[in-house]
Amino acid sequence: MTIYVLRKLAFFVGAVFVASVAIFLLIRGAGGNVAAVVLGKSATPEAINALAHVYGLDRPLPVQYADWISNMLRGDFGRSFRTNESVADLVTARLSISIPLSLSGLILGLLIAIPVGTYAARNVGTPSGAVLALVSQVGVAVPVFWAGILLSLLFGVRLGWLPTGGWTPWSQSVTEALRSLVLPVLSLGLIMAATLIRYVRSAVLDVMNQDYLRTALAVGMTRTQALLHVGLRNAALPLVTIIGLQIAELIGGTVIIETVFSLPGLSRMILANVAAREVIVVQSTVMIIIVFVITVNLLVDLLYGVLDPRVRATR
Amino acid sequence: MNNSAIPAVQAADPPTRRRLPRNASLIIGLVLTGIFLLVALASFFYLPSNPNVPDIRHRLLPAGAPGHWLGTDVLGRDIVAQLMVGARTSILVGAGGATLSLLFGTITGLAAAAAGKLTDETISRGADIMLSIPGMVTALVLAATLGSGALTTILALTAFFTPSFTRVIRSAAMGVLQEDFITAARLYGRGRIFVLARHVLPNIAGVMIVQFTLYFAAGILTEAGLSYLGVGVHRPSISWGMMLNEAQQQVGVSSPLAIWPGFAIVLLVLGLNLLGDGLRDVLDPKLSRRRG
Repeated sequence: MTIYVLRKLAFFVGAVFVASVAIFLLIRGAGGNVAAVVLGKSATPEAINALAHVYGLDRPLPVQYADWISNMLRGDFGRSFRTNESVADLVTARLSISIPLSLSGLILGLLIAIPVGTYAARNVGTPSGAVLALVSQVGVAVPVFWAGILLSLLFGVRLGWLPTGGWTPWSQSVTEALRSLVLPVLSLGLIMAATLIRYVRSAVLDVMNQDYLRTALAVGMTRTQALLHVGLRNAALPLVTIIGLQIAELIGGTVIIETVFSLPGLSRMILANVAAREVIVVQSTVMIIIVFVITVNLLVDLLYGVLDPRVRATR
Repeated sequence: MNNSAIPAVQAADPPTRRRLPRNASLIIGLVLTGIFLLVALASFFYLPSNPNVPDIRHRLLPAGAPGHWLGTDVLGRDIVAQLMVGARTSILVGAGGATLSLLFGTITGLAAAAAGKLTDETISRGADIMLSIPGMVTALVLAATLGSGALTTILALTAFFTPSFTRVIRSAAMGVLQEDFITAARLYGRGRIFVLARHVLPNIAGVMIVQFTLYFAAGILTEAGLSYLGVGVHRPSISWGMMLNEAQQQVGVSSPLAIWPGFAIVLLVLGLNLLGDGLRDVLDPKLSRRRG
């Protein structure tokens, strides 16, 4: 187990390093003269150089990279060129939208997918199983932003129950904040569910063909009992992996849904700052997201090793 | 000889031929994909009107208006013409991304499978790292720094999809490399590259085609998403995702303009996914059984 954990940790460090270099080069390499963009067209060359000097943008790239990373490790994510706000504050403010949104979306997706997927696996070859397969096949083809548009058309415009966009901060009204999250979460959750149903269905089907399920049936359990007692525990393993893989999908979906419903979350902040060439803000924010995803994947791998002794042995 | 005893044996046609007509996914997938391919091709020769030229006198016409089957948008541009050019963009970008990923994924996957432990470890871990980076966020940065457009979108898709191709092709190739006929070819004195090109590639072609089809569909969805965010393609190119964004911003979600491009995306992606599933049943029965 120790070797397994060490290997996973080494991979974690390697992944974070490679990702940080890639993000740094991508943003700096193609970003043009940052100071000139920040100051606008009327800026004199002297002013541009002065600003570049203040933010250390005139130093060689490797020095800037090392500086950025060592600051990040000490918890200093940098500051905005224009407003001088710290990236940590900017990001924290946006997370009060992005985290509830993406987390509830994932949970809703699982709440739908686990029972429906299990039901679909139990009913392979029957009309209801075929209908479910078709529904999830169509669901996978629906872009998340179109789901958002359709839901806001139905519940926002036609029925008038919920806002079609915009955001009321938690501090002003918790109820209003929740109301503005309902449709975004619903869109995200339904689209996640369509993908997850297929995974749950094939995981449960896999389990149903295993020897231990036959044994459970042989000792007198009903099919449903056997699936609940023995099957679900075994199907949980591939599911944990899939949730890990879906985290990147989830973040992608959140980025788009925030735009559909004009929620001032993390992704809107990235879009705005990319346009304004706030390189430090973009670099650090993107890096925070990537580290989060890689951490989730590390935890999934470690959890997998704990749950299934065979994994530790074979990897 | 009495032939009446034989039919039981003769009835067993080659599995491929017998499965094909019953494979509903394959047929529906082929039809849907074929229709969109034809529409995209037709758009090069015939468009009801120029989809980028405003015609203010005919703005926001309803569906069924003379000369405009599905009506016009806020600037009086014909919806059918825009949808037709949108099909072109979706197919071009989706297929472009899937083709480049297939190319790079095949090269890296085969190298990982055949070139020794160190190469394998480097390529596989590299693919794992790339898979753990959220694509949408990277695409935003990429589009903003390189400038958005069809080519950038294709490059972004290639960057996300290549590692998945690498993984799939590596494991498929490893399976083939363990077969006896590979050993035979090696003993016959065939070189590594020859074996890969002549024996491994034809045997993993099925996997490659299926993977290509499914990522073609994924590419169309991603392109629509990026264009919806405003970091994908721009006019004069037209994307269904861009049309949905324009409709939502300019007329509101209640407009039929926010419906048609969505239907187009769903039908084409559904068609390609069904085609991929159907092809998998035909080309790779082992995999289809495992997936249920």
